[in-house]
Amino acid sequence: MDAQEKIIKKKRLKKPGRERRWKKNWAIYKKNILGRVGLALLSFFVLMALCSYIPPWIDPMYQPMSGVDPEISKSTGPSLRHWLGTDFMGRDLFSQLLAGARVAFMVGISSAFMSILLGTLVGMISGYMGKWVDTILMRLADIIMVMPTLLVVLILAALFGQLNIWSIVLIIALFRWPGVSRVIRAQTLSLRHRPFIESAKVSGASHMRIIFRHIMPNVLPLSFLYMTFRVTAAINIEAALAFLGFGDPGTVSWGMMLQWVWKTGHMFKAPYWLLPPGICISLITLSFYMLGRAMDEVLDPRLRKEGERY
Amino acid sequence: MDIWHFTVRRLIQIIIIFFVIFTVLFLLFRLAPGDPISRIIDPDMTPEDATRLMAQMGLDKPLWMQYLYYLKNVLSGNFGHSFYYGKPVIEIISDRLPNTVLLFTTSVILSAIVGVFLGKIASWNKGKRTDTFMTMGALVTHTLFLPWMALILIWIFSYKFSWFPINGMISEDVWLDPSSGVVRKGLDVLHHMILPLSTLFLIYFGSYLLLMRSSMLETLKEDYILTARAKGLKEKTIRNHHAAPNAALPVVTSVGLSLAFSINGGALTETVFTWPGIGRELVFSVSNNDYPLAQASFLLIAAVVLFSNLLVDILYAYLDPRIRY
Repeated sequence: MDAQEKIIKKKRLKKPGRERRWKKNWAIYKKNILGRVGLALLSFFVLMALCSYIPPWIDPMYQPMSGVDPEISKSTGPSLRHWLGTDFMGRDLFSQLLAGARVAFMVGISSAFMSILLGTLVGMISGYMGKWVDTILMRLADIIMVMPTLLVVLILAALFGQLNIWSIVLIIALFRWPGVSRVIRAQTLSLRHRPFIESAKVSGASHMRIIFRHIMPNVLPLSFLYMTFRVTAAINIEAALAFLGFGDPGTVSWGMMLQWVWKTGHMFKAPYWLLPPGICISLITLSFYMLGRAMDEVLDPRLRKEGERY
Repeated sequence: MDIWHFTVRRLIQIIIIFFVIFTVLFLLFRLAPGDPISRIIDPDMTPEDATRLMAQMGLDKPLWMQYLYYLKNVLSGNFGHSFYYGKPVIEIISDRLPNTVLLFTTSVILSAIVGVFLGKIASWNKGKRTDTFMTMGALVTHTLFLPWMALILIWIFSYKFSWFPINGMISEDVWLDPSSGVVRKGLDVLHHMILPLSTLFLIYFGSYLLLMRSSMLETLKEDYILTARAKGLKEKTIRNHHAAPNAALPVVTSVGLSLAFSINGGALTETVFTWPGIGRELVFSVSNNDYPLAQASFLLIAAVVLFSNLLVDILYAYLDPRIRY
């Protein structure tokens, strides 16, 4: 009874502490100009992704993939009816751009999440177990690390035919974990001989329990920091793949839009079509990058002390 | 351990990695769904040629025998027959390899040198306008989408101003003209190379700049910098002889780690500019279902990445004696 009460008390005490920490972190984050700009840009893209459901609902001709304006059969410039103009068969570019934001978030976040999950797991196991487990896992990481991911996806597309968007997401995740696992491994190595791990071991905690209950909470912030960088990598690889013509033919991504403008020979004639998707890919990459750098500062007190802005 | 031992050890590791990649690739091509023979024998071949090639590749034997046959063939430079070009793959890739190496090495070296140099200056002016400008510039160029950047450069400099050729690596009238010498030919290649090189440079120098800047800021906090200051050395000497060489070490490591990333960008650049390199050949062969060429190009690109990794490691060991001893 007494012990239980203590636990309950502990939990109650924990909550305000966590809140205070969040507030403190947010205060540090807010001071960072890059972080603010990044967050603002990102909110803009989230808004775009949310708005992507509106145009097809207004009129079926605004369907990004299948909707064609019945009166237009070639690429036309911006007008009131089509804010950014239309592509070579009369599809609305603005609704394609909005749908692209949705695809970018989907690809970026799901792929980054998977690779972070895998990378954190491998890094923790490898760092904690050491010996041959560590050697095997890290050699595997070395091999995967030297593989150019884009070209790997290309060669798999050659073998397995047209890949759909989820296979692309999965492959990017499978080839993008080694960077994370190295960082997490280093962090785990520094934790492994700390007193709290030793005492957990002495009190008979299993390896699983130590890894998930004691090590994981300490490395997770670092994993999430790396997630922002993985998001940009995933978005860029998917876009590049689509640009080369190996994307999912059923999905309108920004890379796909660029492929259409390039392959149909409109790139010198239609700046209204060439510019927006490229700017969007670049800006979303930039915003996640800024977010990562600002988070870096929150997580790494050394950076804060010297008053670094970037 | 001296530098030779170090090199040999890294070389052995790299050969092992190459064999793992080689084996996985072999298994993928043999075990992927569909008929593996259709991926090796050109469907347009005459039956006699096809049987000859089957025997050469050992396709009637069990899988492990096929692996040994394939290994023997690759080691003797026989990568099979390209479906699209109708000639041996080795001829095509040995024709393309120098072009890729030329573009790849110049871009990596150029962006690393300029990035390190600018990063040094940025860190030295920390907090001032120069620093802000450089850091922001690096962040923005580094996050640009590469193929789009390439298209924009073509649009502005080739189409609007016609300063540079739109694509390719050589102009035929220069190379077919018997009177044109080596200098003229070289200048022609350079003229074609400027835009692809600028694309790769613009995308990659930023990461080196940012890295050098933060590494330099770390180094400046070291005790030996304080000692140098206390000795009354000139600021310029401290910057260039005490801080910069040490700060550049992590950048060298990152060059090695980002090689795979640069080769992705190289393939995209080659494709957009129709630069006749291996990366473009890989993209091209994948769209044409030219399996032998795709497989060989991929292997060769892996070899290029691994080999340049080795070079970077040797450079690192040369620069940092702690690695060697």
